[in-house]
Amino acid sequence: MSIASPARLRRRIRPAGAIGLAIVLFWVVMAVFGPFLAPHGEGSVVSAQVLDASSRAALLGTDYLGRDMLSRILFGARYTVGVAALATVLASLSGSMLALWAATNGGWSDAIVSRLLDALISLPSLLFALVVVAAVGSSIPILVLTAAVIYLPGAYRTVRALAVNIVAMEFVKVARARGEGAFYIMRAEILPNIVLPVLTDFGLRFIYVVLLLSGLSFLGLGIQPPFADWGSLVRENIEGLAYGAPAVIMPALAIATLTIGVNLMIDGLHGRPGDPHGH
Amino acid sequence: MAPLVRLLMARLAVSLLTLLIVSVLVFMATELLPGDVAQAVLGQSATPEAVAALRAVMHLDQPAWLRYLTWLGGLLTLHPGHSLVNDLPVAQLIGSRLPNSLLLAGLTALVAVPVALVLGITAAVWRGGAYDRIVGLLTVSAVSVPEFLVATLAVLVFAVQRHWLPSMFYEMPDRSAMQLLRAFALPVMTLSFVVIAQIARMTRAALINVLDSSYVEMAVLKGVRPLRLVLLHALPNALGPIVNAVALSVSFLLGGVIIVETIFNYPGLAKLMVDAVTTRDMPLVQACAMIFCTAYLLLVLLADVFAILSNPRLRHR
Amino acid sequence: MSEQDPALSPTLDDADAATLQRMAGAGATRRALMGWLAAGGMGLTASGLVATQALAAAAETPKTGGSIRVAGYSSGTTDTVDPARQSLSTDYVRCNMFYNGLTALDANLTPQPVLAESFESADARVWTLKLRKGVEFHDGATMTADDVVYSLTRLQDPKIGSPARPLATQMTEIKAMGPQEVRITLATPNADLPVALGTFHFKIIKNGTTNFTTANGTGAYKCKEFAPGVRSVGVRNPHYWKAGKPYLDQIEFFGIADDAARVNALLAGDIQLAGGINPRATRQVKAAHGYDVFETRSGGYTDLIARLDVAQTGNADFVMALKYLMDREQMKRAIFQNYAVVGNDQPIDPTNRFYNPHLAQRPFDPERAKFHLKKSGIGATAVPLVASTAASSSVDMAVLMQGAARKIGLNLDIKQVPAGGYWSNYWLKAPLCFGNINPRPSADILLTLFFKSDAPWNESKWKDTKFDSLLLAARSELDLAKRKAMYWDMQGMIRDDAGIGIPLFLSNLDAHSARLKGLRPIPTGGMMGFDFAENVWLA
Repeated sequence: MSIASPARLRRRIRPAGAIGLAIVLFWVVMAVFGPFLAPHGEGSVVSAQVLDASSRAALLGTDYLGRDMLSRILFGARYTVGVAALATVLASLSGSMLALWAATNGGWSDAIVSRLLDALISLPSLLFALVVVAAVGSSIPILVLTAAVIYLPGAYRTVRALAVNIVAMEFVKVARARGEGAFYIMRAEILPNIVLPVLTDFGLRFIYVVLLLSGLSFLGLGIQPPFADWGSLVRENIEGLAYGAPAVIMPALAIATLTIGVNLMIDGLHGRPGDPHGH
Repeated sequence: MAPLVRLLMARLAVSLLTLLIVSVLVFMATELLPGDVAQAVLGQSATPEAVAALRAVMHLDQPAWLRYLTWLGGLLTLHPGHSLVNDLPVAQLIGSRLPNSLLLAGLTALVAVPVALVLGITAAVWRGGAYDRIVGLLTVSAVSVPEFLVATLAVLVFAVQRHWLPSMFYEMPDRSAMQLLRAFALPVMTLSFVVIAQIARMTRAALINVLDSSYVEMAVLKGVRPLRLVLLHALPNALGPIVNAVALSVSFLLGGVIIVETIFNYPGLAKLMVDAVTTRDMPLVQACAMIFCTAYLLLVLLADVFAILSNPRLRHR
Repeated sequence: MSEQDPALSPTLDDADAATLQRMAGAGATRRALMGWLAAGGMGLTASGLVATQALAAAAETPKTGGSIRVAGYSSGTTDTVDPARQSLSTDYVRCNMFYNGLTALDANLTPQPVLAESFESADARVWTLKLRKGVEFHDGATMTADDVVYSLTRLQDPKIGSPARPLATQMTEIKAMGPQEVRITLATPNADLPVALGTFHFKIIKNGTTNFTTANGTGAYKCKEFAPGVRSVGVRNPHYWKAGKPYLDQIEFFGIADDAARVNALLAGDIQLAGGINPRATRQVKAAHGYDVFETRSGGYTDLIARLDVAQTGNADFVMALKYLMDREQMKRAIFQNYAVVGNDQPIDPTNRFYNPHLAQRPFDPERAKFHLKKSGIGATAVPLVASTAASSSVDMAVLMQGAARKIGLNLDIKQVPAGGYWSNYWLKAPLCFGNINPRPSADILLTLFFKSDAPWNESKWKDTKFDSLLLAARSELDLAKRKAMYWDMQGMIRDDAGIGIPLFLSNLDAHSARLKGLRPIPTGGMMGFDFAENVWLA
């Protein structure tokens, strides 16, 4: 039994990060097993009382049609967690790669990619989403792609703004002079030096995607009733806010815990010692 | 400064090209959408004859490319056309809304940007401490509550229960500064929630990133105090990403505030654009898209120029 | 005339009574009232008595003055003050403020004279309208027959694109017979012409008007500001031809599309009337002090449509299974908080004089549904069910039906589609979808528009020649009992054979400040058939 390893682990992940990780893990488990744990079906009406307070029959109260809120949230977990995570990873990953490539190469490739994505971000997202529904129909993969495309340019701009600062540094010039390839420079010289802001941007972007979903489902893109992501659950029960119905508060709490969890985890990850900090 | 001027000119030229591309894309998008303005105007009562008659009146029977070129020609001669839906000049419709949007975005930026910068910078100065944690938690919580929930809750508390502030915008008998301030309080608060979080978090991250780099570590070794370290050594080098985050936020404040405009009955451009898209009102959609695009391009150009000015190394690339 | 207190009538004539009430309503003291009465030649004792009565009645009688803000539920760039091109509730409110029609529909949907003092016809084909004298447009011009001819003819112009064009084209000749007389000739006899003239689009504008950036009508309010998608402001028309009306000095009208925001604006005191509130919000309104919910029962409905000309949804047993699968009581309670009346898959609602109360109510019966489903041979195939927020509450209805369907092994696959473009792209096109039908002023108009075999909006493409001939016969039948029997038969036919499921007739719900008085239900829509403007006052 080694004494060193728990200590190293503790240094790797700060307590806040551990809490974040625990929350995220909890919701991932719920996303996978939620539907099996749900006491009622996703669309079945269980009570004549709508927007009701918590009761023994409906632990988190009922929604605007008298459906069990706990079940609705559990069924919605996979849509919110799954779709948002996938879309964010897609947007951030492709946005970052493009940005690193553009920043490293500079010149024309940078200008062309930057301006093309400027054009993309200038397209109103409502128009974009409506065109997507009209042109290719509605399904979960399309929802993921749409959300990713809407947030890709933002990720690109953020990462590019960070990367150009690094590209101008001496050590990158040195690496270039050494004859290193563009990919090596991206991976070994630039990325490690901007990883915190990139991750922070990922965390924020994750929140935006979670919140975007409710807007897209409202347009009929992706998640179809009776299923609903958490943002839509908040939206459809908003009338209950005036008297504090759990139907509107609980899904909002679910969103808050998930997004805070993700961001805590990201902040915690950065506490890792041994990150290369420049040269 | 000569290279910078050259860069500016080049970027402005490219921006015009971007605008052209966007206008083509937007036009194609409106064409792709099912239904046209004639059907949208007639709604449920759109019989084939009625639609055909209205289409002819609106010149929708012309080929798409011709309509696009007509619109483009009009724009180049500063005549953005008439709304197909209500026949009012697009310039008039935009003219009545643009100042409102600029006012709301400006006021929000005025409140949110300084607060966000202070929060971000102080969090970076005392990073890892309790203050940093609390700021982090608060900012993430603020941005993770759906906008419509924040707005509705704010209205319930401050307007319905307490009657301190108006719940929405309406024609005020006398437009005193105090009344305007009261009317703007809730919308600006709602929007600030979103914007502060984004700018503060990116500011903190960018600063810490620079603080971790070798040359700042050198300064630490020399014994420079934390506040001085952040403001004088780190901030100039983190300015690029920070200004970028501000630019993205402000561009959101101009065009992405549909929820706030709807809930507070605020006559801004975002609602106008959504209306225009819903009714497939091409000249109006295009005009709004052009304005948002121009604003965005100017803001990011400004951010890029700022980044270059703040980082001497970038000037000679 | 319901606003007048009958107690005043024996001693004063109508005009005097009205003036007295206005004075009392405007806050005149008893002394001032008595002075006015004495000047009119009334003895002191009598005047004291009458003045006291007037003051007591003032609480319930109209009061002049004050201004209100009103929020409707939609507003956008399509907002118009062109009566011919109205398409949404927001337009109806606006045009009712600024214009008058020739007739108006009352609480029983009976046409009442407005700008036309009388409408007469011997054969229901050639109609003579006598116009009211001394009516002025807001610009001071006197209303004449030419204005009426222009307004009605304009509705027929295909270039205008008026939704009322199908109704207007039945008029083959519209002719001015003198400054105060118009003769209308119809293609075929129609006893309901005065009803049509009382609908929203048949408002009278000034001869030659082509510019609708502002409104120039004869209505109770003058257009002070009109900004599409922003607001409309009407100010009292001091020369309004109806004595004593309107009561308010100013109405500011706009749309707040967000349901919760509209109710909150009311409860915050920023508006005095919120149109079209969500039934779920009634609890919040009732819990607040000083606010009321105003219910208007009407014949409007959201219906399930199964296209009979498509193989799958045209299967009679499948359609019957769907009709038995609608748990109407559950829908009424869960979706509408009981602000609805259970329907029976036929479109004539209980407020209509031709409603058939003896038609057996179709129950929620999963067993019978299962029987029909089995017979239809649909099996476990997923059947797409198109719903949209455009057809109000259809998504919720779809969800409730889906739950019931699953229990009998029917797989309804809900497709929620964007509201924009719904009426052009899914309604009348998708094999299984929802429609949303606004109340119509007469059974004949409703059945002709939506159920006649060749009707453009024949939602389920139901074709029945016997129904068509009954409909035509009923239109020209003057014997009310016979006519009623025909409409009863038609209701049964639709209920059993058409591909339409009508679970409920929906109430229109508005919420208002308790200080706002004078609202009476008119079943053509909420907010008094959108004609509250000249009828309400602030207590």
